[in-house]
This record gives sequence, structure tokens and C-alpha cells, in this order.
Amino acid sequence: MNRLVWFFSVGAVGLALATLTSAHSPSDQHVKIELISEQDGIVPHGKIWVGIRFDLQDGWHTYWVNPGDSGEAPRIEWELPEGFAAGAIQWPYPERLSTPPFADFGYEHQVLLIAAVQPPPGIKDEKSQRIAARVHYLVCRDVCIPGQKQLELTLPVKSLAVAGSNVQLFEATRRRLPQPAPESWKISAASLGDEFVLNLIIGRSAGAPQFFPLEEEQIENAAPQTANTIPGGFRLHLKKSRHLMKPLSRLRGVLVVGSGKAYRVDVPVSQSSSNVHTQS
Amino acid sequence: MKQNLWCGLFVALLLIYSISAYAQKIGDPAPEFQATDSNGQTHRLSEHRGKFVVLEWHNNGCPYTRKHYESDNMQRLQKEWTALGVIWFTVISSAPGQQGYVTAQQENDYLKQMNGSPTAALLDPQGVVGRLYSAKTTPHMFIINSAGLLIYDGAIDSKATTDKADIATATNYVSQALEEAMAGKPVTTPTSRPYGCSVKYAH
Repeated sequence: MNRLVWFFSVGAVGLALATLTSAHSPSDQHVKIELISEQDGIVPHGKIWVGIRFDLQDGWHTYWVNPGDSGEAPRIEWELPEGFAAGAIQWPYPERLSTPPFADFGYEHQVLLIAAVQPPPGIKDEKSQRIAARVHYLVCRDVCIPGQKQLELTLPVKSLAVAGSNVQLFEATRRRLPQPAPESWKISAASLGDEFVLNLIIGRSAGAPQFFPLEEEQIENAAPQTANTIPGGFRLHLKKSRHLMKPLSRLRGVLVVGSGKAYRVDVPVSQSSSNVHTQS
Repeated sequence: MKQNLWCGLFVALLLIYSISAYAQKIGDPAPEFQATDSNGQTHRLSEHRGKFVVLEWHNNGCPYTRKHYESDNMQRLQKEWTALGVIWFTVISSAPGQQGYVTAQQENDYLKQMNGSPTAALLDPQGVVGRLYSAKTTPHMFIINSAGLLIYDGAIDSKATTDKADIATATNYVSQALEEAMAGKPVTTPTSRPYGCSVKYAH
């Protein structure tokens, strides 16, 4: 470590690197991370929603499940009492963080990553329970700083739990979670030359739709996504990633339309324009 | 005169556009470049036809780069493969004032300090080589075979973290591709998502 300190003081690199070499979690000043719960206690037989809240300093961001061209999504390791089980992290749809010629997907200011925790049946209502999580994360501005945080929360077991002060944040987060596409929508995808074309028949046009691929290296993240109006909807053009080595069988991702509503897209990709599969 | 200027600008923009729009794919000829190293020597990719060439995008302040240097992983790879005749270029595309930008002297000090042994460290502060290859992250690794074709474009290994402990259990895609290609076999993993910090190009 000393060698590094020496090296960095020689290089005219300044503040950002000085924070990297300091002994205590250098990312602390750029992000506050807390484990919070929606309700004030655990009800036997009922699940409880908990979340990791990131409060980021202005200019800093962390990442979506697909971070895009650089960066890394947060990872959460739960440490739960025996018999408890945590569900998957629910990722709110991200922002496109443009750093030409590339683009990342992530969050600025604040994000809450929520998950449901299910207590075991027959849990007694006199004991408190400790829910803990180890979070591995990366925050970036023009430079990136990795961090790790051990978080915990102790909740009483109650026969009746009420929503705590965090409920509004949980509700706001749920509004940013991708929903299943309405049944009336017809979504299909085709591979055409160096593009994937998403056909979205949704009964209306949609301002400036954005598609966020769930998996890495399927589309060129920074390429403009052009939408053409077609009867009953629109067609979105996505440039294929140059890292795609074989035909893609499914396109999975999140579609954000006009008013900031997000929908899940998971459709087979037809290899010719004449034979278009649909998601129903 | 003014018209010529606009015309020239248009052609230049078109060129920039076509470079970014037609980034090379696996199996394509690797784009030719010329760059100056930290000892003032000029290198051209085409000078090394007949040899395998590795390009390693580098930023000494990036935690992902540091993972592979502080663990000695990158230096070991450099030693191992250059000993087998591979040309290894570390490429630094950070713009002046950005993280990872170094002068020639600073880079030489760094290499000495870290025991780095690439064939050469290419200084690319204008990001010309970086943009030519669409280098996204540090590290981002490319391999060019002896016929001058691109055979690998992606991450250094399979574990996209900053944790040094992950190196031992990760699949190193660079070693794997070099071993396979040098044995005349097809490369199992010719591309992967490069992971790391974004390359700090000039805006």
C-alpha cells in the first residue's frame, strides 16, 4: 500500500485518488447506504419488504442490474435468521447515463433496491429478528470507487405490523418497477441486418420510448434508439452489439414509455422479417 | 475557400462516423494504428504481422485495473505471454486532466514500481487508438492473431468485480484465447462484456 501512496503522490492525480488510498471506506462520502423496512415489524405468516437505500452525492451514480458499457451492479448477500428466505432484488428501471461514445445504466441521487423477506411458519411473536445484508457496490462520477457495507436491522415479531415512515419511498419505488406488458399489447422482435427491430402494438404512440436490455452485450448501449410510428404503435430500432457472436433467440429488457411507466419485454427474436413472433 | 473548409469538415465527420459505426468484429482485420510509447518509440500494428498481439487498456487509478496490478496478475500475464513471443501493448487513452493520464516519465516510473513488463506502454491521450478499437473499459483486452485478425475482444476474465480474491477462481479469457489460438484451435470465448471503469476519453 505504501508503494501505491508514494506512486499516487508522484502522479498529479489529486483528490480522487487520495480518497482511494485512505484507510476507511473511501466511498462513504459519496454515498450513504441503509437497510430499511416498509413495516415496523414482522407478522407471522406474512412477508415483509426490506430495501437497501442508496443516497448518492450529486454527480455520483451506482448501477442497474445490467450496468451497460462500464461499471458493476450492486450485489447483496443476505444474512437472515434461520428459516427466513429473501426473494430476488426488484430493480427500478434505470436512467441512461451517457458518456459518449458509451452509455451506462444506473441511478443518480437516490435508489431503493427492494426484496421480500419471508419468515418461516410458526415464528413466535415475542422475539426480535435480525436481518442483515452485506452490500458490494460501485459508485462512480468521472472516477469509480468500490465499497462494501455491512448493514443490519432488528425487527420485532408482532401480530399486527403497521407501515412505518418508509412506506412512501417503497411505494414510489414500486411505481418504477417494470410491470408485465398489458395483455392487449402485441410485442414482437426481429433481427434485421445489424439491428433488432421491436414492434410494439400498444394502441397508441409513445413519446420517446427507451429500451433497456436486461442482458449485457446484446445491443450497442449508446446507439440512438429510433422509434417510427406504425399503425397502433411504434417500431423501435436497436443496434446490435458487435459482441454478439450468434443469433439471439430472445430479447429481454425493460421498455420505458412516455409517462415514465416501465414494462417487461421478453420476446423471441425472429430471424426474418416475414415470420414475427409475438408476446401475448 | 470556406466551402472547402466545410467540405473537409464534412468528410472528417463522415470518417469519424464510419469508424464508430463499423467497429471491427471478431475475425475482421484488426484496425491498423500508429502510436508512441513511453520511451518515445513509434509502433505500428502491422510491424508485428506474424506474431500475436495483445492490447490492454489501462488506467492506473481505476479500481478494476488496480485489482489486476496490485495482485500481480497483469504483470504475470505480461511476462508469461511476452516470453512466448506475444507482443503486449498496454494502451493508455485517458485524456490530460482525467484519471489515469500519465506523462511518459510517470508511466515509466509506474512500470518500474509495479514490475510491469508489457512490450511497450502506448500513450494515446487523444484517444485515437481507443476510439478506433471502441475500447470501453479499463481493463479491456483485445487479441490479434499472427494473420492480423481480431480473435478476442472483451474482459480480462470471467469475474467482473474489484475483488482480488476472485482472480484465482475466474476463467482468464486472455490466456484461454491465446492458448487455444496458438494451438490452432478455435477460441471458446471470443468476446465477453469488458468490465471496469469507463475509458476516460477527452470530451
